[in-house]
Amino acid sequence: MNSMVVLPLVLPLFGAFLLPIIMRASVGVGLWVGPAILLYGCWILGNQWISGTAMPFSLAIGGFAPPMGINLYVDSLALLFALAVQLLGLIFWPFKLDPETARRQALMLLLVAASTGLALSGDLFNLYVFYELVAVATFGLISASSTGSAYAATIRYLILSGIGSVLTLLGIALIYSQTGTLNLAHLAQLAPEQLNNKLGLTAFLSILIGVGVKAELFPVNTWVPEVYATAASRVSAFLAGLVSKLALLIILRLLVLIFHQQEAIQVMLFLGILGVVSGELAAWRAKDMRRMLAFSSIGQLGMIFIALSIPDQAGLLAVLALSFHHLLVKSGLFMLADGWGGAIENLRGAAKRSPLAAIVFILFSLSLIGMPPLPGFWAKFTLITELAAQTSPLYLIGLAVFLLATVIEAAYLFRLAALLYRPVSEEKPIDTIPKPAGVSLVSASLFGVGLLAAALFITPVGELLNHVAGQAANAELYIDTVLAGTGGGR
Amino acid sequence: MTLTLLDELLLFSGVTVLVALFLGRRLPAGWMVTILYGIQLLSLLKMAPLGYGGDPIPSTLILEVMGQTLSWRFDALSWYFALITLGSALLSSWYACGEWEQRFRQAGGNVWLFHLAMALNVFSMLILLASGDLLSLFIGWELVSWAGFLLMAMAGGVATRAAMRYITYAMVGAMAIFGGIALVYVSAGSLQYDAILTAVSQMGTPHLWMLVILFSAGFGIKMGLMPFHLWQAPAYAETPGPGSAFLGAISSRMGLFAILLVLVKLFGIVNIESLKIPFTLIDARDLLAWIAVFTIIFPTFTAMKQNDARELLAWHGIGQGGYMLLGLVVADAMGAAGGLLHVFNHATYQAALFMAVTAVIHRTGTSDLNKLGGLVVRMPLSFMVLLVGIIGLAGLPPMNGFVSKWLVYRSLLNEGMPLLFVAAVIGTLGTILSVYKLIHNIFLGQLRVEHEHIKEAPWSMMIPMLILAAIIFITGLLPGIPLAWVASVQEAVGLSVPNYTLGGVESASGSLDMIWVIGVLFAGFGIGALVFYSAGKSKRVHQLDNYAGGHFLTADIRYQYSDNFYAGLMHLIGGWYRGSFLWLEKSVKSLVEFLSLGMQGIYRRANAEFYLLSTALFVIAWVVI
Repeated sequence: MNSMVVLPLVLPLFGAFLLPIIMRASVGVGLWVGPAILLYGCWILGNQWISGTAMPFSLAIGGFAPPMGINLYVDSLALLFALAVQLLGLIFWPFKLDPETARRQALMLLLVAASTGLALSGDLFNLYVFYELVAVATFGLISASSTGSAYAATIRYLILSGIGSVLTLLGIALIYSQTGTLNLAHLAQLAPEQLNNKLGLTAFLSILIGVGVKAELFPVNTWVPEVYATAASRVSAFLAGLVSKLALLIILRLLVLIFHQQEAIQVMLFLGILGVVSGELAAWRAKDMRRMLAFSSIGQLGMIFIALSIPDQAGLLAVLALSFHHLLVKSGLFMLADGWGGAIENLRGAAKRSPLAAIVFILFSLSLIGMPPLPGFWAKFTLITELAAQTSPLYLIGLAVFLLATVIEAAYLFRLAALLYRPVSEEKPIDTIPKPAGVSLVSASLFGVGLLAAALFITPVGELLNHVAGQAANAELYIDTVLAGTGGGR
Repeated sequence: MTLTLLDELLLFSGVTVLVALFLGRRLPAGWMVTILYGIQLLSLLKMAPLGYGGDPIPSTLILEVMGQTLSWRFDALSWYFALITLGSALLSSWYACGEWEQRFRQAGGNVWLFHLAMALNVFSMLILLASGDLLSLFIGWELVSWAGFLLMAMAGGVATRAAMRYITYAMVGAMAIFGGIALVYVSAGSLQYDAILTAVSQMGTPHLWMLVILFSAGFGIKMGLMPFHLWQAPAYAETPGPGSAFLGAISSRMGLFAILLVLVKLFGIVNIESLKIPFTLIDARDLLAWIAVFTIIFPTFTAMKQNDARELLAWHGIGQGGYMLLGLVVADAMGAAGGLLHVFNHATYQAALFMAVTAVIHRTGTSDLNKLGGLVVRMPLSFMVLLVGIIGLAGLPPMNGFVSKWLVYRSLLNEGMPLLFVAAVIGTLGTILSVYKLIHNIFLGQLRVEHEHIKEAPWSMMIPMLILAAIIFITGLLPGIPLAWVASVQEAVGLSVPNYTLGGVESASGSLDMIWVIGVLFAGFGIGALVFYSAGKSKRVHQLDNYAGGHFLTADIRYQYSDNFYAGLMHLIGGWYRGSFLWLEKSVKSLVEFLSLGMQGIYRRANAEFYLLSTALFVIAWVVI
């Protein structure tokens, strides 16, 4: 039963390679392949989730036990992310029919496979491979909208991401040269003696900056606004919502298992604060809804980095709550932006054209700001109580910045909301006001419903996340599970 | 599980919201909602023992979320504020039903949204007032803020802009409170009031300072305390008429409620007094008192310069909040009673005044003080209500405003704070001058030709106004009625209680008996009336039938001006109006714009790789060195 978990990783990978061939044979069948694979993946992971998340387990691939062989590590955190990947893949499925369909769908399957791998992988090298695979898939997807500005944005992203990968690889190489292993559990055992030094710190920071390119970490996130403003909204939503969180997951695992240096945490906190400041302030003046969302996403990721700099269970709870909240809300907002893109001024009176979209937008904005009793409030509440409990003054600065950023956030989001409800001038026909496409609106509303459901069932959701965070924060459990091989095997 | 009285009240309030939401598009929705407010008020009156020292009533609803316990309950403090909330909601909603509503709809207003916003405001206020711990307080606080935003923004145009300004200020306040709550949580380990009470007694001075600053700024923003007062007047003034009566009566008092609960009850005035400001003679309590006094003076004198009746009243609303806070921070028995009593009194006359002005707008279509005049014969009842209201606002006998202000003044003198006393009196002077401008420019002076055939406001609007006027007079005559409630509030938050009687207070340092004061006053009026009527016959002429210098004046000649009303006074003090706070607000905004521009610049740069590499190098260098 446990070994079934491999399938959501392997099937989309095969699917990605086979899809163009199938499509050539029969478009009718080809169109169903992708969704079917993803649905099956959801079903397997969902089953796994229900059948037991009490104990994590490790799955050796290729017949060699870790630390020699490669392994997948499946705890509730990894499962949660893997499940989210499959679900979002399904929601953002590029169903549009045109000559590019096969390519786009194949890339999407590849992205899903790589992301699932990223969530489940138990050693550093595989993480790197999947990370690269994600990058490749996203380049293709972004440029698939085939406008000039999209190409330009992609190239910028490609170069940045490439250099980031080199840095990551450098960090991994440093770790390998010091310890001779890349298995996370094994590294976790060795780290206190061998990586608790300047070399280890350098390695972590190079990985942090390298992976930070995707996680929208402050100085290496300059690709974000351009890419999100030009790529298809579904791709932006996937990138902002999920890929950035997967990059965070790598850093989270590294922090919990291997690197416990204060300096490492401080750098991250510092960059997180700068991310919040720069992102939220830049969003204040954004004249385009997608760009505004992109900047706000930078700010939100900065908040998550601040939370990540408290790597105990409570801090991880804040990270998870903020991440999943951001995932829901930003994906939904990007879906609305599909159709509401372009200059903000054009959106005047859009509420009249599409009342539901305006209400969903307000719901998302309120949650993003942290209006109780919506889930965003609880996420922020866990973060600020944690921040206030820290003794170092940098955390208090983080707290203050966080609160001020929320004010700015409220100001620009509600400036837009007010614009939506402003009366339109008489001569302008109502049909010319932009309106989100039907499907996008439906997916956005789905996210909205999810948000409301989370608000209603906040108690079980909170307990669940707390359980996940507890498991993720437990480094000994990780080591024991992988190296003792409990529940492992094929 | 049996429902407590509080559950019942909250349930009715929730039902009101639902009715407004789902049935609000039907025609008699206004009346249904009004009746439901009446039911809520009855349900509140069933809890009347709370107003006379009864035990707190809990709600059966208790939530456990993310390790926090949320609970709700009503005590004397909640009950007193809820009484004012529901009273003003009932009367404002009643006022809105009928003709006003029809006119509003004809003008393109959304009546459904109006009733919904009102119901939401009332519901969220009750939730806030019922909060049983700091977290539920914050939740209620945010609900009230956003419900208020809805009511303020719904008129569109200028109103939306004012509401946006409000919500930005409100968010600043909310975040200050949020930060404060986080700090409290860390030191108390819980957000329950009992735990906080014990934690406060062990807190260090810097910590307590921080909390006092965060909470008083956060709550003060809702009250419009200096220097956070700029948002309030435009936001309240631009709300649709009955809405501004409601907001003006109670909305910003939620800030006072929270200050009472957190700063007075949990932190304790004694602890706040122990926070000395280094190198000066004053402490945190004096600081609050001076903020209160400046909040009285500046907005009141700003009100005097307003040319729109609603703006004028809204600016006074801010100033009157200063009296309440002043009385509270003096915190002796009389001062606190005065401050608390002023909440009730202010709600009554402010609602009446906004209603009277809205009635004038309803008939004439304008609230511009330069375009009205001479309406006293056309709208005599509205004139009476406005007169009663401004006497209350100015704090003169025989209306209720006099009692509360007298108590505050008396306590300032008793406690030896002459400077504050003088400052408060300057504020009252400004109030009297500006309310005179209000009544003169609307009702006195020359009638305009276009207003010749104007009728009195319709009865649907008149009755709530008359009820309010009656309350203003009766609680002026018998202040003992609300003083009983006030006394139980004082007991609930741990303040000393004055020795009150039906007619006022008794104290060694000065007593007040309004029954005597008003008796003497009316005896004086009686003598005057006797003289007037025994002087012989007077001749009635039409209001437009005038002459001067032996010439007849036709009605279209303006011979009496209301523009630039206090020209002489402005010649003396006009230079003092500098708009410094507006300037401050603008510069903060420009600063954010500027920073934002800079940040966008960072992201616009093409050499992203350069950032990456330089950061990497910098970080590695930092590690190695």
